[in-house]
Amino acid sequence: MERRNFLGFGAAAVAASMVPASLVAENFRETKPKMWQEATSAGAIKDMYGTTDGIEGKIKLKAPKLAENGGSIPINIKTSVDLESVAIFQDANPRSAVAAFTIPEGAIINYDLRMKMRKTSDVTVIGKGRDGKMYKTVQKVEVSIGGCGG
Amino acid sequence: MKLKAKMKKDVTKVKVMFKSPMAGPEEAEKKKIKPEFIAHIVGKTNGKVVYEVSTSGFISKNPLFKFQFKGAKKGDMLEMTVTDNNGKVTSDSKKIK
Repeated sequence: MERRNFLGFGAAAVAASMVPASLVAENFRETKPKMWQEATSAGAIKDMYGTTDGIEGKIKLKAPKLAENGGSIPINIKTSVDLESVAIFQDANPRSAVAAFTIPEGAIINYDLRMKMRKTSDVTVIGKGRDGKMYKTVQKVEVSIGGCGG
Repeated sequence: MKLKAKMKKDVTKVKVMFKSPMAGPEEAEKKKIKPEFIAHIVGKTNGKVVYEVSTSGFISKNPLFKFQFKGAKKGDMLEMTVTDNNGKVTSDSKKIK
């Protein structure tokens, strides 16, 4: 089933609003539009969460120390902390935000995805707990061949 | 999209792969194509959202995502809905095995 909308990106807002509210928790592309334009992780994280601070060591980030293919870097995020959202940022590309998860209540937080990085940089995973506290993990990923459209 | 959902004990494990260039504005300009990337993905089972992520063009081309959730049983339907940067919406469902 496909529906096409010719109104441009704003159409995503229309598409999402056609889905009953109970079925979409939060689409960060709509609620945090600036975050996706920010060049740096510091800027993007501040836009999403208002702070770049977080309790370290509670979110497990699995990322290669050295990525041989910058176009496909496997990332796994795992935690038993009751987070309501968690997002991934890097400073290897022209803009920082990679993905932002809206986490349903009672979810298992064990997410896999693959991202691109043009060069070596830190990857920051930062999330907000339902306890109101922030949690974060930072890991440097070295990239031997750039993969973001290069 | 290629969607696989399998139960192991009480956990449903999902692997889903989409066809998309995942080209944001900078990459699209270099490649002389229009920006095209998946921007939002929602997974629903039994009327509840079990997975939701907003994404950018810095996700790999033809992206693969994995996630897990509890509360379903074999035979339940998992429905994935994907919206791209141009507002195009695609949906697919698969029975949880």
